[in-house]
Amino acid sequence: MRRLGAVVGLLLAAQMTATAQDLDPGGTIKKLAARASKTIDVNLDQSMLRFASAFLDPKDPDQAQAKKIIANMKGIYVHSLEFDKSGEYTEGDLSALRDALKQPEWSRIVNVRSKRDGENVEIYFKKDGEKFEGLILLATEPTEFTFVDIAGPITPEDVMRLGGHFGIPKVNIDQDSPTGKGQDK
Amino acid sequence: MNRLEDELKLALRRVDPPEGFAERVLARVASKETPKASPAHWWLHAFGSVQLRWAAVCAMCVSLAVSGALYQRAADRRRGEAAKEQLMLALRITGSKLQIAEQSLKELDSSGRPER
Amino acid sequence: MTIAASVLATTQLNFEDLVRENQRMVFSIAYRFLRNAAAAEEVAQDVFLDLFKKLGSLESRAHASFWLRRVACHRSIDYARRNKTAAAEISWDLLEEPSGQALENDPFLSRRLQQLVAGLPEKMRMVVILRYQEDAQLEEIADVMEIPLNTVKSTLHRAHAMLRARVETLGVRP
Repeated sequence: MRRLGAVVGLLLAAQMTATAQDLDPGGTIKKLAARASKTIDVNLDQSMLRFASAFLDPKDPDQAQAKKIIANMKGIYVHSLEFDKSGEYTEGDLSALRDALKQPEWSRIVNVRSKRDGENVEIYFKKDGEKFEGLILLATEPTEFTFVDIAGPITPEDVMRLGGHFGIPKVNIDQDSPTGKGQDK
Repeated sequence: MNRLEDELKLALRRVDPPEGFAERVLARVASKETPKASPAHWWLHAFGSVQLRWAAVCAMCVSLAVSGALYQRAADRRRGEAAKEQLMLALRITGSKLQIAEQSLKELDSSGRPER
Repeated sequence: MTIAASVLATTQLNFEDLVRENQRMVFSIAYRFLRNAAAAEEVAQDVFLDLFKKLGSLESRAHASFWLRRVACHRSIDYARRNKTAAAEISWDLLEEPSGQALENDPFLSRRLQQLVAGLPEKMRMVVILRYQEDAQLEEIADVMEIPLNTVKSTLHRAHAMLRARVETLGVRP
């Protein structure tokens, strides 16, 4: 997370305001969702975020962390689509989305491919001058497409906090190994 | 493993909880979710005087209002908990993708050459 | 399994299943620590109520079990500290002195060991319970109790020494 933070940290900025909206240029997500075998959609605008925040337990470390992260956010929109087989969506399907992200206010900060999963992850920040207005994360692999749109001021520290929490295993632990022993004797 | 450790493993075997433990847990969880029921009308007829009846009607109205408020609160709570679960889900998905990005950056570092 | 599928599976974790699968573990940790069935049930119920609130943020059954073990430990320790008279804490010094008879085949050795463990200081007692009841590795004990690994090692080492000394006087050669 430090490495990611260092890359993102080059563009460190202060607070700012933005209008939240669920981005779906060209209806890309809708079209892909129609073909997907499984979809996860989370749409939380500012009022829903505030409502949810009231139910976060400050004594729970993960929920306390979540409360801090979303404090100034305008919206969080997550769409995760799973396909039965590879080839059911292509780079061509994402062209409208990518074109929208070529606008000058968007900068791609991270573009990496995981050797282990073959998953490609791109992170874009929206800026107005030196101020951050939002983040878009695109994760593509042959049978899965994930789109995360976070509107509002999101600092590199917030980005670092998102990884390694909320039950996600640490990077250096094998995700498939059991976390606990102690079988019934 | 030495004998003391073997004996400790034997001595500290897991034990069964008392009979009905799981049911008591489930009942306790269910009771926290259910608002209390409002009182019935029947006792109205037990009162002879008009004043008492009116007092009883008022008390019942208040009770119904309170029950309604309690029910609304329980419904709000359910919606809030659902919104919270959605939020945690969104943060988990985002966090997991960031982990992949971080992992990939580490792989880049260790290989010493760019992937693309 | 893809990330999205595993996340979706998590949100569908069944609370009742988790209670039934883990009740023995949770109750046993509390019982071995507190040596009081009523107190252990109270603690165990509270642990599962916590689980109910936390359910949506748990990733898998394994994660849930790990989380339950951790919460059971912490709640048991908190309960003991708040209710010194309720927990059947046996002072190490007040434990009955052995008769000196050879107890190699002592049928009550398990019970004596249970009493000896119950008489250990709190942190040491929990380390021993996690090690021998839960068969946890030292790293996991450190994670569950949120203490440094070296502390786990030294605590276990001291526990062995204390228990071994007492058990040897019972006539059992470890």
